Amino acid sequence: MDRATLIDRLQQIVGPNGVFHRPADLLVYEYDGSVDGAVDTAAPAAVALPTTTEQVAAIVTLARQAGLPVTARGAGTGLSGGAVAQQGGIIIALTRMDRIIEIDREDRTALVEPGVINLELTETTAPQGFFFAPDPSSQRACTIGGNCAENSGGPHCLKYGVTTNHVLGLEVVLPDGRIVWTGGRADGSAGYDLTGALVGSEGMLGIVTKALVRLTPKPAATLVQLAAFADIESASLATSKIIGAGILPAALEMMDNLTIQAVEPAYHAGYPLDAAAVLLIETDGDPDEVEAMGVEIAAICQDCAATTVRSATAAAERDLLWKGRKMALGAMGRLAPNYYLHDTVVPRSKLPATLSRVGEISREYKLPIANVFHAGDGNLHPLMLFDRRRPGDVERVLEASKEIIVYCVEIGGALSGEHGIGTEKRDYMTLVFTADDLAAMAGLRNSFDPTGYFNPEKIFPKGYMCGEVRALRAQAMAQKLGIYAL
Amino acid sequence: MMIDDLPRIDGVPVTSMVTPGDAPAVAELLADAANLGQSVIPVGGGTALALGNPPGSADIALSTRGLGGIIDYEPFDLVLSVGAGARLGDVQAVLAEHGQTLPIDPPGGDDATIGGLIATALTGPLRHSAGSLRDLLIGISMAHPSGTVTKAGGMVVKNVSGFDLPRVYHGSLGTLGVIVSANFKVLPLPRTEATIVARFAGIEEAMLAATTIRTRVANAAAIESGWLDDEWFVAVRFTGREPSVRNGLAAATEVLVADTAIFDRADSAAWWKRYQAALSLTANDEDEVLIRCAVRPRTTAALALGLVAKLPVLGATPSFLGASVGLGAVLVRFQLHDGSADRLAELQMILLGLANNLTILAAPPAWKAGLDVWGRTPETLDLMQAMKEQFDPHRVLNPGRFAGFI
Ligand SMILES: Cc1cc2nc3c(=O)[nH]c(=O)nc-3n(C[C@H](O)[C@H](O)[C@H](O)COP(=O)(O)OP(=O)(O)OC[C@H]3O[C@@H](n4cnc5c(N)ncnc54)[C@H](O)[C@@H]3O)c2cc1C
Repeated sequence: MDRATLIDRLQQIVGPNGVFHRPADLLVYEYDGSVDGAVDTAAPAAVALPTTTEQVAAIVTLARQAGLPVTARGAGTGLSGGAVAQQGGIIIALTRMDRIIEIDREDRTALVEPGVINLELTETTAPQGFFFAPDPSSQRACTIGGNCAENSGGPHCLKYGVTTNHVLGLEVVLPDGRIVWTGGRADGSAGYDLTGALVGSEGMLGIVTKALVRLTPKPAATLVQLAAFADIESASLATSKIIGAGILPAALEMMDNLTIQAVEPAYHAGYPLDAAAVLLIETDGDPDEVEAMGVEIAAICQDCAATTVRSATAAAERDLLWKGRKMALGAMGRLAPNYYLHDTVVPRSKLPATLSRVGEISREYKLPIANVFHAGDGNLHPLMLFDRRRPGDVERVLEASKEIIVYCVEIGGALSGEHGIGTEKRDYMTLVFTADDLAAMAGLRNSFDPTGYFNPEKIFPKGYMCGEVRALRAQAMAQKLGIYAL
Repeated sequence: MMIDDLPRIDGVPVTSMVTPGDAPAVAELLADAANLGQSVIPVGGGTALALGNPPGSADIALSTRGLGGIIDYEPFDLVLSVGAGARLGDVQAVLAEHGQTLPIDPPGGDDATIGGLIATALTGPLRHSAGSLRDLLIGISMAHPSGTVTKAGGMVVKNVSGFDLPRVYHGSLGTLGVIVSANFKVLPLPRTEATIVARFAGIEEAMLAATTIRTRVANAAAIESGWLDDEWFVAVRFTGREPSVRNGLAAATEVLVADTAIFDRADSAAWWKRYQAALSLTANDEDEVLIRCAVRPRTTAALALGLVAKLPVLGATPSFLGASVGLGAVLVRFQLHDGSADRLAELQMILLGLANNLTILAAPPAWKAGLDVWGRTPETLDLMQAMKEQFDPHRVLNPGRFAGFI
């Protein structure tokens, strides 16, 4: 199919205003939120902006006929290159499918289109006493569809779980062009957990066109505590002790001195400028229980030599304490023109060792690294600060990231806690997973998308062919039977 | 059930029983079976062998008993790695030494194995507040009929490295591979607990009270209602610290003005152990059937009422009914008089008019012939078949037992 025909056919599906194809219009779709250099950029042939599920299905069918890859896209805030159309083809941008279709107070569910902004769902349901628990720091911009695809997390996932724990059902357009529902309002639908397979599949198994998500009732009481420490080790120890004491905070976040330096002058959240680290600890639930937990947390922090412990119960005070944390990434601009972050996860008890290794790497590579992260679940976000115009900076950043990732994996950690693999970390997959492990993932992909045209080149290491899995398996079997050796 | 006797799987006798001692041995066994065209039925604690359609064949029963034991436990990190054959009771005992727990109370109780619990996805009343193993599972190792052993996930509490296969294997009834070990996040043991149980004159009152509790009482750990020991009841469990348990009880007492009893600490735990036994898939009588129906939570009461009205008309006498109003699920155990395959099929069809999802959890094997115990055929069955084809092309594992006879 030539380009003109493709554009024409797309316009027939979504109308003339629903297709972008001029180079200038395509430019923003060549990127996502990731750092240039860490992921490749690529231009799609066209971007289609459907407004209905049927249109999505029609576009998918057209792409199939034309032999073009399809990449779904939400707000494009992804940090691993997920929404970049690596092999060109059609980008289906779901931002115009942005209706909250239904809020059910009794069932505590919301039925939403994929383009609904994360925070909008919480803001819309707040007057009825609910919130949508997954709260990525990008929640003002990112979409529920993107959250589903990346299985996104956020500070409050410590207590409430990540996206997959809040998705009850999905309407998806499958690679064969069909529209199906997985899961649903009633528990226990028969067969494999396709909803579980789709969440976190980075747009490779299906395009989410509706999501039935769980709404969480707002807790009766919320307490936010700020504890400052003279060294990072004490802050890490306090983290472990709080959780070890049987307290499950709603959120437990850490910010190091460099982060405080960036944030405090900008937002006056009240973080002591001389602290090596601060912890932000939120507890919620029954008012009496929250009070009791607050007392215990304060005592643990004092025990771990906290220099300050402050508590905030009023909403305005709590919001101010949180503001610094939420704006931390934005505030980095005060320290350097660019930053690049990873989101490895390590066992909580390995946080002190990991942070000191990150410090060493920072010195070795002469890169300032600010740490602002989900300490409660060991999910690091080392922010490497640099200037992309300075020759050699990008290369050093990439080298340093590699060291951090390798270290985290070696001590039993994971490549990514919430940002996904995409193209950014695909070549690191073999650090953790064997060829057999990857073959199982490829098996899942093959059952949904045998030709691999949904978001190609993501997750699997460069050059990996999912289609070869069967051949590999036959080979393994033959080898076992002694028919031939590999 | 004695594991050492050759078990019958839904009436189908197995011809041999093997107990491989490690993951590679499981994989090798599966590959051999694939090569010889044999079928393999994974067997854990034997508490849920009634679940599923009768297998097309059952050549080898593969006991996971050789895969027991704690592999790694880091109390400080609240993570646990355990062999698939480990008994839940043994795992809980080790966790309890460190003041921790897996907050689950499945029908199989302490004898259920970790692998079996993941494979069957059976849950108990605590699901109301604590979710299920699906939410706690952070990593898994599987042996496949291709002869390989693979892992997915890891030993950290948050992980999006590649497709989320742990969620795919959870609830797949051993049809994609044999679970050899699993990693979980564990939680602190609640410091205390208490339970309030109320008796009611009829089901309407009981279901109304349970529904009201669900809306009004935020911190209940479990809310169950229905028919137990020849009485209509509502039971509400509170776990946590002293103040929240006390506040919860106070709030529940306001709703449950009827004939109530309060159980503290050990007595509360004991009440729920007994309740858990009522959920068991192991039949007490020969003509006994156990089904689970589910609807959207807001219509749980209507479902329970509908079941109570319909079952006697169909010749069924319920001995137990347990509704989970937060989840929209109702478990009902009944005797089907003069039962037969036709009668059970008819009953299933009629009850499907009341519920969105319906699973026959246990029934005499002869009655199961010809029907799909998993209820409605999912519209995505072909996709599920494609998954089976990828992971187990020779249909070695539990052939025919799963939804749509996968
Ligand atoms: C400043 C900043 C802070 C962030 N903080 C966090 C954080 O705290 N936690 C966290 O988890 N992430 C965070 N992120 C990452 C990102 O915001 C999340 O991954 C988010 O869920 C992506 O949503 P999106 O709508 O922008 O998706 P996109 O970036 O557009 O797409 C992401 C992936 O989802 C797929 N996709 C999108 N929509 C669909 C659909 N409808 N169906 C199928 N696949 C689809 C795409 O193909 C792509 O693979 C942050 C990003 C930024 C820039």
